[in-house]
Amino acid sequence: MTYIEKPVVPKVVKLEEPTAKERKILNMMLNTGSDIYQGACKKRGSTLKDEYRKVCGVAYMDPKDMAKLGVANWDTVKVTTDWGEVVVCSVHSRDAPHEGTIFIPKGPWANVITSHETYCCCDPTYKGIYCTVEKTDEPVLLMADLMRAVYKKYVDDEETIPELESLGEMPVYKKK
Amino acid sequence: MAYEPPVTDYDEIVENGTCAFCGCNCDDLDFLVKDGHVVGVRHACRLGASKVMEDMDQRLMVPMIRDETGELMEVDWDTALDKAAELIAGAVRPIFYGWSETSIETMKHGIRLGELVGAVLDNQATICHGPSLQAVQNVGYPIATLGEIKNRADMIVYTGSNPMNSHPRHLARYSTFPRGWFRPRGRFDRTLVTMDPKYSDTAKMSDIWIGFEQNGDYGFYNAIRAALRGKEIDQDYVSGIPKEDIMELAEAMKNVQFGALYFGLGLTHTLSKQRNIDMAIEMLADLNEYTKWVLTPMRGHFNVNGFNIFMAFEMGFPYGVDFCRGYPRYMNGETNTIDLLTRKECDVFMVIAADPGAHYPGGAVKHLAEIPVIQVDIHWGPSTEIADVVLPGSFIGVECAGTSYRMDGVPIYMKKAVDKPETCRDDEWIMRELLERVQKIKDQEAAVASK
Ligand code: SF4
Repeated sequence: MTYIEKPVVPKVVKLEEPTAKERKILNMMLNTGSDIYQGACKKRGSTLKDEYRKVCGVAYMDPKDMAKLGVANWDTVKVTTDWGEVVVCSVHSRDAPHEGTIFIPKGPWANVITSHETYCCCDPTYKGIYCTVEKTDEPVLLMADLMRAVYKKYVDDEETIPELESLGEMPVYKKK
Repeated sequence: MAYEPPVTDYDEIVENGTCAFCGCNCDDLDFLVKDGHVVGVRHACRLGASKVMEDMDQRLMVPMIRDETGELMEVDWDTALDKAAELIAGAVRPIFYGWSETSIETMKHGIRLGELVGAVLDNQATICHGPSLQAVQNVGYPIATLGEIKNRADMIVYTGSNPMNSHPRHLARYSTFPRGWFRPRGRFDRTLVTMDPKYSDTAKMSDIWIGFEQNGDYGFYNAIRAALRGKEIDQDYVSGIPKEDIMELAEAMKNVQFGALYFGLGLTHTLSKQRNIDMAIEMLADLNEYTKWVLTPMRGHFNVNGFNIFMAFEMGFPYGVDFCRGYPRYMNGETNTIDLLTRKECDVFMVIAADPGAHYPGGAVKHLAEIPVIQVDIHWGPSTEIADVVLPGSFIGVECAGTSYRMDGVPIYMKKAVDKPETCRDDEWIMRELLERVQKIKDQEAAVASK
């Protein structure tokens, strides 16, 4: 019984692929959700580490879309929705083909751009959000820096945020 | 991944531990303990093992509060608890959110505290399976335990869920692979179907993958229902799936002996939210005309179901329970955390064993950046970056014992394997202390007012 042919996961599409027409901006659909690497890293507690950035601050893209955009594995892209914008790494999806959709594992990066709209059903809309993806040179921030840059809870002067020193990969607090 | 040799250097094995990660609550783990630390864990999956083998760099060890410069500062337990109690007692619309990664025993004190100050008590269901609970209230709950499904089911359907990533042992331990009483050959006696727009890791290993369109769940289940009722489907494709395939699938689902449907967040997070699940449950009702079908939601945290069961038992409502009028109230879209935060209603937020910083949409976290946040947790996480008072708890199922409810509603007592770090406290103790301290403040206020 096979109703739908299971796809053959395509080999990595080269950037010079003739069918791929290069574009500056892609209109895509964003899905977020859990993923085993994200889950393992989060619950171990390693959220400040570079490792967490590598598993959550990524957008899983179809190789064909990456070819269109002219990005390679681990290049940075800016994803923009009506609710915000965030810089993440583009990486080849293990679940391709899914042209036209990107997947960002749930975490602080994804949630900068997800919709808090609950439509009175208590649950925000984490999946199926329209977004645009474009290439960028900006770096992907570490978790602590991201939280500071986006939510600015303990910064006095918002202008200074880009110049502030990184909070690093270890907890920072005053010991007794 | 590099080969890692098995751990042989340990003092003792603590058997039959329970995994405190996902809703499978695997209760067959063996912890390898050396010098009071877990150095290895057997039988757990990648997720469970990673949680047990935690990252001690980021373990919250000491209570902390923010000083004037906005930096966290280590303080003693009394100062931190007093500060937290003062915030809670002075709050007009507090929210106590979380609870899913702590024990029922902790929730007991939490409810008392909530009632005392008129708080809203809510858990992770509000951002994951809330719509499922609404659907259950709408159209019913044909649930079965995982053991029953293991012994009987010959068709397993995962819809909007990717257990290979979020509940890795689910297939191996409860649904697809194990041999059951009526399914002696295990995997060979069962048909595995995955319905997911994504060609997920679970889809890759299933017999049938139905990749309907994004947001196409509602239409697809309706089409199956139509097919089951013998109606003609007049479109050639429904949600991207050819009509003939839908008819064939409906026929196959009708002809099994015992079917089980597991559904996940793919249904609750898309646009039609609880209506998707209404439809899935009604599809089961239709299927039950012909044969036996049951369903179970794939709950995420090990005790997220526990909070819902406990709350429903104690207060009559599963989550988002508002005590501000002195009696429990529940109103979807009104007393739920995300709505309260985006409407900027809440003025003190306490998070217990959860991570809103990582898992709330930005619009809700923005309000958390404007109000005091109290965090009770075991690891330094995104929420610590926006927390004003941090109280280090302990790790249920490893460092302290407690009760939790599995995704199918079976309670499991999780035993303790090692001692907690000396400077940390049990979640239960923290809640009881907070309750006592808030009670004291309230009593003083009452005494002053009566003079
Ligand atoms: S399947 Fe879930 S409960 Fe079982 S070991 Fe893995 S994470 Fe733990």
